[in-house]
Amino acid sequence: METISLQRTERTPNVLFNFATNCFSLTGESYPEDVSEFYGSLMAKLKEHLGLLRKAELQFDFSLVYFNSSTAKVIMRLFELLEQTAQRGNQVLVNWHYDEDDDNMREMGEDFSEDLKAARFNLVSRTE
Amino acid sequence: MRANELLLFREKLAEHGVMVCYNGYMTEDVLTGIAATIKHQMMVRNTDKNVARGVFSLFVEQVQNVIRYSAEKETSCQGSTDITMRTGLLMVGKEADRYFVACGNMVEKKDVATLRSNLVHIQGLDKEGLKALFKKTIKGETPAGSLGAGVGFIDIARKATRGFEFDFSDVDDLRTHFSIKAYI
Repeated sequence: METISLQRTERTPNVLFNFATNCFSLTGESYPEDVSEFYGSLMAKLKEHLGLLRKAELQFDFSLVYFNSSTAKVIMRLFELLEQTAQRGNQVLVNWHYDEDDDNMREMGEDFSEDLKAARFNLVSRTE
Repeated sequence: MRANELLLFREKLAEHGVMVCYNGYMTEDVLTGIAATIKHQMMVRNTDKNVARGVFSLFVEQVQNVIRYSAEKETSCQGSTDITMRTGLLMVGKEADRYFVACGNMVEKKDVATLRSNLVHIQGLDKEGLKALFKKTIKGETPAGSLGAGVGFIDIARKATRGFEFDFSDVDDLRTHFSIKAYI
């Protein structure tokens, strides 16, 4: 699959999905007008790709400074997909980046990671 | 309102610590525009970063609620698509040492009971309870579609470190004005 690279806008994050290297990231802010319109096809492509992975190494970096509650649903779904991928024998690493003084963003990362068993999870503090 | 009343109106807003006030069509463009001024005002006022992030978050969730659910709406044709514009009121400000974000919009009378009971329920939850309900909701484990069960209100309750209040005022047989004010 071709790499997907979307530049960030005021309300949508920078998206980098490199299917060849299995490096994925979301960076910036996310409160789009229509969450399904923005994430729908991205999620479908990712799901298709992850379903085909066998004994692969994969890294997903979440580096968000703000996301709204509709985006939270998408992130939850992403975590579920990543965990399923890890449970099928792939090595999955999830990095959750947050500004060091952003307690809420750190807590959100902890909340999302609670259901990860097979996937590895790192909280990464970012100094400004 | 006469021209000379505008100053009185402005003074009234200032008296209540209102920094931003908007009434009318609530659209995604309005949200984007006001978002930028709120971020700027918080920066200029040297607001604590966690407070500023919280205010911003309360603002986005409340405005998106109005955009999606206000029962005061007009649909018009623009080219081949129908555009629905919904109306609401927004106020962001600071009273004494706490910031507030408030929104008002019409809701249909038939939705009031559900919305009210959901909000009362959310108001009664502590931090852990809200966290659990938030997670359950984003996982899709709560029935979708009901107006008040939206994850937006749970998020508002989580971010409003100094609580939130709400009110319903009857307007006519079909509509009720819903208002919510969250503090941080």
